[in-house]
Amino acid sequence: MSDDNLSLDDIRRMAAEIGLSRLTDGHLQELLRATRTARARRAALPFANLVPADEPAHVFRLEPDR
Amino acid sequence: MTDLAWLTIAEAAELLRGRKLSPVEYAKALIARVEKHDRKLNAFLRFTPDLALEDARRAEAEITRGAWRGPLHGVPYGLKDIVDYAGLPTTAHSKILQDNVATADAAVAAKLKAAGGVFMGKLSTHEFATGGPSFDLPWPPARNPWNRDHFCGGSSSGAGAATAAGFVPAAIGTDTGGSVRNPASMCGIAGMKATYGLVSRRGVIPLAYSLDHVGPLTRTVRDNALMLDLIASHDPLDPGSVEHAAGGYTAELGRGVKGLRIGVIRHFYTHDMKADPEVAAGIEAAIRKLAELGAEVREIQTAPLGEYNACNRTILTSEAFALHEKWMRERPQDYGALARERIMAGAFVRAADYINATRLRRKMADAFHALFSGIDVAVTASSMDPPCRIDDPKTIEYTYGRQARAVFNITGGPALSVPAGFNEAGLPLGMQIVGKPYGEAMVYRVAHAYEQATDWVKRHPPLA
Repeated sequence: MSDDNLSLDDIRRMAAEIGLSRLTDGHLQELLRATRTARARRAALPFANLVPADEPAHVFRLEPDR
Repeated sequence: MTDLAWLTIAEAAELLRGRKLSPVEYAKALIARVEKHDRKLNAFLRFTPDLALEDARRAEAEITRGAWRGPLHGVPYGLKDIVDYAGLPTTAHSKILQDNVATADAAVAAKLKAAGGVFMGKLSTHEFATGGPSFDLPWPPARNPWNRDHFCGGSSSGAGAATAAGFVPAAIGTDTGGSVRNPASMCGIAGMKATYGLVSRRGVIPLAYSLDHVGPLTRTVRDNALMLDLIASHDPLDPGSVEHAAGGYTAELGRGVKGLRIGVIRHFYTHDMKADPEVAAGIEAAIRKLAELGAEVREIQTAPLGEYNACNRTILTSEAFALHEKWMRERPQDYGALARERIMAGAFVRAADYINATRLRRKMADAFHALFSGIDVAVTASSMDPPCRIDDPKTIEYTYGRQARAVFNITGGPALSVPAGFNEAGLPLGMQIVGKPYGEAMVYRVAHAYEQATDWVKRHPPLA
């Protein structure tokens, strides 16, 4: 998932799609930087090492007395 | 009598219980100190001397008639301003919530009230416990008491500054990626992130539900253990709260470290992220001190620091954005730039990536905790750098993520930041002592032994 080509226009469109329609150009620049950072972080995570039995850290459970 | 500003909770409790110190006189002394110095430090976002005197008079009456409630009775404290105190605004240091008046106490506030503490006010934070230090908010950022031109860490910035400055002997902060331990490290005090679920989060504005912890900041290890004793317990109204016997955190103090096995996670600060030389030297000196005291020190390996940090931020920003999405749609201009950018990092994290990060989290936590079959505690860096100038946004940005604290929000076990000396400029350095889940008493034992063997806690910032 390379973000080299993620542009301000891309991020403006993506923001509008999730209802972030009041962001100024300055805010969109922040969102662009933040999104690039988030995707770089994701790329650093060794998800390939996960196996199907690896469950999320928080799973829903009910207490027996409820 | 000792300067009241530097009394520990333990010392104050003895004087108050023995009626050698009046809670009212104690409160008045600290109120005067805040009034004299806090204009330069901004530790308090909302200073409440009238409430403090009301609490102090009540404590005095109760102690006089022999109804001493325990070690916090008549002792001043402060709350980070994301913790509800009924009748006062909980602003999260943000324009978004500047009129958000709490209708009930947070669980932790209720416990400190019940313990007879003297509430001094609400303390500065980074906006929503993530965006700071910022100069574009309704209130200024807290500054470092050791040098007010420098950053005091965060996000529990006011809690760190107020405690180090002698405004209060204890404060409550919160920690999602290191926000109790960062100001503790930068301000030269002790800050504990206990095991996830041990301290109730009810009534605390969330940053990221699965990573948020509430914790105490104090000047000494013993005081920290005393505070955790007061605030840790099961809360059925907090879905993350654990049903685990809490308390007894001072029980191991004074037993020393002879024969304990201490694992050093050196690769965090020498390889994964190279620490500032003075920071690294401080930690190495502390490790040598622990060995001199009789601990068996060995090096241990865990996953690279970058993986823990990326996992933390992926989960944190996803959960934070879910919480803030409505405000980001309707009022983006009412956030400061730092909070807006840091929270918006979660806007486009895919659901699969968030879930996979939580799956990875469990795996990393299990692997980390397995290390404790061969050690009693681990030691590693807290911040990789000393406190930088607060007016230097480039260095703030560079150093913000250079830390080994978020690791333990991922693993969930206890991690305590304690002072590890000072750099040549006279600014505090810190390190972390880390335990297995629910191993807080052992962490405090090791930290206390180290503290007693050094003189860091005897030094105080010179507030001109």
